[in-house]
Amino acid sequence: MRSAYSFEGKRDMTISRRDLIKAGMVAGTALSVPSILRAQAAPSAAQTVRIAGGNITNFDPYATTTYVTVDHGLAIYDTLFALDSKLAPQPQMVGKWGVSDDQKAYTFELRDGLGFNDGSPVTAADCVASIRRWFQTASGQLVKERAKDVSKKDDKTFTIVLKEPMGLLIDQLAASANYLLFVMREKDADRPPTEPVTTHIGSGPFKFNEALFRPGVSYVYDPNDKYVPRKEPPSGLSGGKIVRVERVIKEVISDAQTALAALQAGEIDLVSVPPANLFPMIESDPNLVLEDLHKSGDDYLLRMNCLQKPFDNVKARQAILHLVDQEAFLHIINPNPKYNRPITSLFGTNTPYTNDANIGWYKKGGNPERARQLFKEAGYAGEKIVVLQPTDWLPGSNAAQFLAAELKKIGINAELAPSDWAGLAARRSKKDAVEAGGWSIYPSSAVDLSFGDPLSTAWMNMDGKSYYGWLKNDEYEALRAKWADGTPEERKALARTMQQIWWDAVPSVFLGQSVTPIARRKTLTGLVSFPALLPMWNLQKS
Amino acid sequence: MGAYILLRLISAIAVMAMVGGFVFLLLRLASGDPAAMIAGPMATQQTIDGIREQLGLNQPLPVQFAHWALGILSGDLGDSILAGLPVLKLISQRLEPTVSLSILTMILSAAAGVSFGIFAAWRAGGLVDRMLTAFSALGYSVPVFVVGYFLIYFFAIETRWLPVQGYVSVHNGVGPWFSHLILPTIALGVPYIAFIARITRASMLEVLSEDYMRTAAAKGASTYAMLFHHALKNAGAPILTVLGISFAYLIGGVVITETVFNIPGVGRLVVDAINNRDYPVIQGVLILVSGLYVLINLAIDIAYTLVDPRIRY
Repeated sequence: MRSAYSFEGKRDMTISRRDLIKAGMVAGTALSVPSILRAQAAPSAAQTVRIAGGNITNFDPYATTTYVTVDHGLAIYDTLFALDSKLAPQPQMVGKWGVSDDQKAYTFELRDGLGFNDGSPVTAADCVASIRRWFQTASGQLVKERAKDVSKKDDKTFTIVLKEPMGLLIDQLAASANYLLFVMREKDADRPPTEPVTTHIGSGPFKFNEALFRPGVSYVYDPNDKYVPRKEPPSGLSGGKIVRVERVIKEVISDAQTALAALQAGEIDLVSVPPANLFPMIESDPNLVLEDLHKSGDDYLLRMNCLQKPFDNVKARQAILHLVDQEAFLHIINPNPKYNRPITSLFGTNTPYTNDANIGWYKKGGNPERARQLFKEAGYAGEKIVVLQPTDWLPGSNAAQFLAAELKKIGINAELAPSDWAGLAARRSKKDAVEAGGWSIYPSSAVDLSFGDPLSTAWMNMDGKSYYGWLKNDEYEALRAKWADGTPEERKALARTMQQIWWDAVPSVFLGQSVTPIARRKTLTGLVSFPALLPMWNLQKS
Repeated sequence: MGAYILLRLISAIAVMAMVGGFVFLLLRLASGDPAAMIAGPMATQQTIDGIREQLGLNQPLPVQFAHWALGILSGDLGDSILAGLPVLKLISQRLEPTVSLSILTMILSAAAGVSFGIFAAWRAGGLVDRMLTAFSALGYSVPVFVVGYFLIYFFAIETRWLPVQGYVSVHNGVGPWFSHLILPTIALGVPYIAFIARITRASMLEVLSEDYMRTAAAKGASTYAMLFHHALKNAGAPILTVLGISFAYLIGGVVITETVFNIPGVGRLVVDAINNRDYPVIQGVLILVSGLYVLINLAIDIAYTLVDPRIRY
């Protein structure tokens, strides 16, 4: 068939089939050119690691406690000190450090050759500014209160002078439970605390590829060729952070089933939080493996509003302590028992301060009769208990439903208040009675590692103002204030006393601990094991 | 007709103004706090209050609304609270996948749905008709995500013929672009194919029973001429209505498909924004989508006059 478009006096514009095919080939080639050019410039797929992870909604690690942001911080920033695999602090950016005889003045000297990925050198001024920014966070608050002066001595040296000796200073500088002390450029760190840092300039092992950044879709990290790794082997967040692949891409895959299908098909290499109900499927796939990287996992808990009835009465709070059957709750959170264990210590299951003081309340299967009796002793008269149910967080949603059912079984007027986490997060800040839009109890979780740090872990205080629930206990707070001063052995003793008070006062109740392994293809190796976080250095892909 | 279009455009602006006010109020009255979402689950109230202050969320609602409305009038939908980027930029980044998926789905749905409907009407009561009717009932009933997971299992995991998830821009090659859209298009298209096929079949059956069709048959018109020249033209108006409505609904249905196939489109953008209470993004997307709905309705009305010249305004 020939299409004729001949016009009098003009060139014959007949298009033959051959012309059409030629034109198609030219067009196809033209369309392919950009991808060919990109393919030549881009790292090889074989050395690109793809990770299915969460959405980063804030890039400033001093503005949020979400782990995806901390992971981002670990990639592009470095830290002065870092915890090793045994959770002991080790120097990282710091080369040498010392303390004065009176234990008040600490001097730190940076390692040689440290530089930011924009080409500028890391100086002591950057460290001082970063420490001051960290002071504005809950994690840095204690050191801020104890510090008399933080200043640079020269380009590589800075000092922290304390008002009183503080045995925990280095531990605090290395702490990884909430806000890590990442070193930024002075001009970034000097921004007002309420203004998030939006640049991505750090001295860490990776640099953030802003050209390929697609908010809510993917985050691309390339090796930082200016990074100077330590000589020691990697251990936890410390040691030599050597990047062994050409690129790491974090992809936001919001549907867990899709993420797993992509892992099975080899489109991604790692799923950071695979859903527990799909563990059997992963275990049956010869190309995949579940790996317990985080070891101690997440500790699930219930937080109670201690300002309103019935939980303004300690007996009612103790009733919840006795009501909870941790094994049953854990089963609905994660049906794989090998990843679950009960918790009895305020200081978690795997921290240096885990202990067994005052844990007589724990009984396998719970003790609903005792709970019923305690509610009666509390003078419970049928008041409505509003259980906040985070519908978009499956373990929390299930736990809330189960709790409401258990409360009803012992005659308590429990009512579920379903909402997404955003709704829960807003409602939990209300101190009003439930009739006025307040709340009674809600499920939450925290990484076990944070339980070893009662100073910067907000929910471990009892100051009556800082964290939802608002229980006040001066005796406990006085002990918490001593936490930073003693030796490790003294802190262990302190932990026992604090725990004694905690389980008498009961600001919160544990539901148990569940470890979430990562799911990876067997071709991806070299993952660094550390609670809650997912460092990207040392990864290898075969 | 020009006056009619002008009138419709004016009413469209009024509708969008009402939508804007409604959406703004609805979001502010709903529970949830973007500052709490930014700060993370373990943040203290002090931290959250600081973020609220910085984002201007403590300002009175009329002040916040005035800022937003003035921005809209000057073509600025504001900045995302979370990403810190202009909402228009975020939407434009996500537009290509959604538009690609929607257009491919509509092409597939219209082509397959109308063809199935014509064929079923032609063979009404026969085996083919019963099979197509059964497919229509099933296709319209089965949720998109079930079809999606089914397709992923067979065509991506078992056979490895097609990718599981993701999107490749058309600028990176037509082949990869198309291969990433085949499964989502089928998954999203199945209910629309079923719906359009049912409407087409019913409409065609009605027309085929008309006297003039018998006359055409008596005059020796071919099956092709009867079906496509005589019947389809007269059955076209309701089919066109359904196509238009389907396209409008498609924008809503695309959210689930984008989630199942991890396509970074406008649907996922708005779902993420809702989860994080990113007000400017939600408002911006809703304003644009409502505008699109209004335009589609307008386009359908105009198309009526083209398909059936008897319709006049």
